[in-house]
Amino acid sequence: MKPAPTLSSAFLHPAGQTLPEPLLALRKQRASALVNMPLPTRKTENWKYSSKYLKLSDDMAISLPAEGKAGTSLAIPGYKVVFTNGVMIPEASEYPDLDGISIQSFSDLDADEAQTLSVQLGSTLDHEQAQFARVNGARFEDGLLIRLQPGAVLDQPLFIIHNTAADACGSAYPRIYVEAGANSQMTLVEEYTSNGEAAVLVNTVTEFNLADGARITSIRLNMEGEQVQHIGATGVLQAQNSRFESHCVGFGGQLRRHDLQVRLEGEGAETKLNGVVVTQGKQHYDNHTSIDHVAANCNSEETYRNIAADQSHAIFNGRIHIHQDAQKSNADMNNKNLLLNNGAEIDTKPELEIYADDVKCAHGATIGQLDETSLFYLVSRGIGRREANVLLTMAFINELVSQIPVQAVRETAQLRLNDFFEQTFQEI
Amino acid sequence: MLSIKNLHASVEGKEILKGINLEIKAGEVHAIMGPNGSGKSTLSQVLAGNEAFEITSGEVTLNGDNLLDLATEERAREGIFLAFQYPVEIPGVSNLQFLRTAVNAMRKHRGEEEMNAAEFMKLAKEVSRQVDLDPAFLKRGVNEGFSGGEKKRNEIMQALLLQPKLAILDETDSGLDIDALQVVSNGVNALRAEDRAILMVTHYQRLLNHIVPDYVHVLAGGKIVKSGGRELALELEERGYGWLGIKDEDTSN
Repeated sequence: MKPAPTLSSAFLHPAGQTLPEPLLALRKQRASALVNMPLPTRKTENWKYSSKYLKLSDDMAISLPAEGKAGTSLAIPGYKVVFTNGVMIPEASEYPDLDGISIQSFSDLDADEAQTLSVQLGSTLDHEQAQFARVNGARFEDGLLIRLQPGAVLDQPLFIIHNTAADACGSAYPRIYVEAGANSQMTLVEEYTSNGEAAVLVNTVTEFNLADGARITSIRLNMEGEQVQHIGATGVLQAQNSRFESHCVGFGGQLRRHDLQVRLEGEGAETKLNGVVVTQGKQHYDNHTSIDHVAANCNSEETYRNIAADQSHAIFNGRIHIHQDAQKSNADMNNKNLLLNNGAEIDTKPELEIYADDVKCAHGATIGQLDETSLFYLVSRGIGRREANVLLTMAFINELVSQIPVQAVRETAQLRLNDFFEQTFQEI
Repeated sequence: MLSIKNLHASVEGKEILKGINLEIKAGEVHAIMGPNGSGKSTLSQVLAGNEAFEITSGEVTLNGDNLLDLATEERAREGIFLAFQYPVEIPGVSNLQFLRTAVNAMRKHRGEEEMNAAEFMKLAKEVSRQVDLDPAFLKRGVNEGFSGGEKKRNEIMQALLLQPKLAILDETDSGLDIDALQVVSNGVNALRAEDRAILMVTHYQRLLNHIVPDYVHVLAGGKIVKSGGRELALELEERGYGWLGIKDEDTSN
């Protein structure tokens, strides 16, 4: 029998050594735990449909140099933080010096701050499910730490531009940790882009820790190039009466994986997760979400839409776990899917585990095609076939895109999606 | 303008139209009446280009050009407009976006400049008032959650915006109360023009009190069995279809 594949030891060696000592120590400790980490195969349940798209090579283990021009498709009105090849570049970033809000790169932390962070990093995630967050833990370089003091409110969204610029094979490991104090508020936009044709791995971890009454809106746009293998994880911990809202828009590629894990740990916490995925050609996209209702009286509302064209493959796996003490939980999960061609594949799997008896938990998943009657109606008004197809396909996700609360992002997403579908239907 | 010769059409192998002959000239208003299942809606759908129907023989020309060779969208651009019996709800596409896309597709076809959002908004508001539809409906999804009457008014609004050569109205009066019928009829009457023809398909003659046709045809069993002037409609109302040898259990109104 062939031995199960493991992560190559080439991946265990981070490049930069500029971090404060406690973080270097953490990274080293995490790396030692990675020795012989099994790689997912089709027998690995949470990678069942996606393992075949994962193609890691030893030369991909090399950390990409933190240089290259940062690219963004967004017209950024205000604050921004730039990551190039996974490394935060403070010189290229512009952010405020506001009372109660600290935005720092890891390397700027003093020993005490770094010590505190080293205990927090990874605490929001279940690494059994998000295996590759471990790799990030061993490999992250200069990352971003945001601490909001109680009551602090960031007056406009903070844009984080993650650009991968590579002429040669390699990998990038961006890391972000957000600690939101009681009743603090912020909106954070993460945009992932790339330039260059080299095969690269982008392995991200973003963590949000919300204290009582904190409100965070997170927007994630994945617009990397075809050849990028993106494996990202977002962990969210929510205390009492906090509210987390997530809007993810993802365009397919060789491999796209996002794990979004939310733990509702304090009573009255609310979470809302919206996601849109589009794939064409031979692209792939896999969203795994997980919501743990740990405390009573929490609400979660999740709406994901996938659209797959050509021979592409989209996957949605939505897990809701209602713990024994989480009485009066209210959970609603909805996943609708649109298959544009016979050769496309969509796999959707709701996973509900309910251990409390007084809960409301609804879920629904559908897979369908464009409606012929609607199409006839549109073309009977003189609208061209391609345009009619684009309109109807956009209609499938407009409800979600229109909810993106930051205008610059919403408009960029609409334009990019429209272009994407124009391409999808170019043969018509 | 429109010439239909010996038109046969089937759906799923079943022949519905069995040799239709009809000539419509510019400026004329024709009404096609007939019992349920006679093929009225099929004729409308076939003229608009619904591919669910198969044309087995016959010919249809619009101003001398073969209509059956054209795709649905090309027919629309050449001036065919079908007001649907059951207008389709399309959540996620705003009525305004839909209407502007359609109007601009027509303008582009005619080599005219496309209208920008502001210009179109002004026009759309004007026309929506003409059919007594609150401009707030422009922002909603296409027909989404509209009442039956609102859907029909939205159809007439589209006709007014697109200014077709031939407007086909499929059961436009169905589901309308008397006030809505008046509004819709006013809209249709506003469409009447020397260079435009109107073909109304209806089960009942009450619409014809509001929109007075020049010609009335009775369709039964996939053929036009009788043609006449508007008095034919009145006679049908009085006597039903029976005297023409047509069975119709469903005509009692």
